[in-house]
Amino acid sequence: MTWVAGDAERRAALAEHPLAALVSPALPLRANLSALENIALVQQYQHSLDWPTAAAGAMGLLEQLECAGCAGKRDAGLTHEERFQVKLLRAVAASPALVVIERPGYLLPDTHYPRFVDASLAAVQDRFGSCTIIDYVWNAPLYPPR
Amino acid sequence: MLGTADLQRRLRRRGVVFVAWAAGWVQLLRFGGTAIVAALSPSIYIPATRDSVAKQVYFTAWQVLPGFVLFIAVLSAVVVRIVDATARDYGLSQFAIEMILRVLLLELIPLTAALFVSLRSGAAISTEIALMNLRHEIDALARAGVDPMRHELVPRLVGCTVSVIALSVVSCAVTLVIAYLGVYGFFLWGLPEFTRTVGAVFSPQITIGLGLKCLFFGIAVGVIPMAEGLAGPLEVHSAPVTVLRGMMRLFFVLLLIEVSSLAFKYI
Repeated sequence: MTWVAGDAERRAALAEHPLAALVSPALPLRANLSALENIALVQQYQHSLDWPTAAAGAMGLLEQLECAGCAGKRDAGLTHEERFQVKLLRAVAASPALVVIERPGYLLPDTHYPRFVDASLAAVQDRFGSCTIIDYVWNAPLYPPR
Repeated sequence: MLGTADLQRRLRRRGVVFVAWAAGWVQLLRFGGTAIVAALSPSIYIPATRDSVAKQVYFTAWQVLPGFVLFIAVLSAVVVRIVDATARDYGLSQFAIEMILRVLLLELIPLTAALFVSLRSGAAISTEIALMNLRHEIDALARAGVDPMRHELVPRLVGCTVSVIALSVVSCAVTLVIAYLGVYGFFLWGLPEFTRTVGAVFSPQITIGLGLKCLFFGIAVGVIPMAEGLAGPLEVHSAPVTVLRGMMRLFFVLLLIEVSSLAFKYI
């Protein structure tokens, strides 16, 4: 966890991880692509895969996170939870060493998000090295003691 | 009467506007150069980019081909009829075919194809890129390891260029047939004279010039809307102005290419 006390600190914390795969409210999904395409696209470009192989890999990721039902939905049709899951899968699609999730409360406004984020990360933990969550210090009481 | 301070203020304002206008063109040329170099680099065409290019060619060229060719066929039939009738009235029927070929094939059809693709795809591209820029989707793609140049920009440039060239070539072929039928009817006796005239009009220089003109039209239709979409301010209320500015610049450049081509040919 990285606790920050304001926007400047948050930006500074983000700047410490310029190469990390980022899950952020500031990095939206591609609006005219489905959830599946958004994830498959990363695999296509990172591993030079053809579409059927990349789509199969993306569907595998969606099934691993038990959200395959949103595969065909576009950004506007996703719930906050589904959007977070798709962003997380887009981030882990290239098997990064580090995933950074910033402002999860902004991404999941209607959810008790610490539990949801932990469960989502646990489901795909074999796909990335480590994860850092950047959140505001006043949200610390929401998280279970670690 | 204007005071010196007032004059200075007005001049400064004009200067600021001019510098912003010139900076816009410089930015456009820089983006155009980068996009063209990227489009000409074989290494950029990984399977995903090839898929995107194929999609763009389908949407901008193939999907509109039947409708556009039909429109050109009607336009050609009307123009051929007018030119042929007028030439006969003035006793200049021997020049009718040459006039038709020069007006329709060399000038009107390529310009119409470029304007058609501009209105149909250029405006959509400008809006989409401006909105992508506003929503930070381009940043998001780059951060996720997807090169926006490969996935979003080069496919659109190639799509527009292929579209303008394909529409022009197919429409020219259809117009040749219509011109022959309009002047000679369904008979073969005019074929030797017709082919001789076509050969005389399409000299190597003219053919190369026509090819280059179509290529420049296609590049302009692809590059300018994207460059303006990317250069626009990151405010939702500015998006219509960004699109409008892109379309105006595109219209100006298309006319500039057309006028330059006429000047090279006839002056």
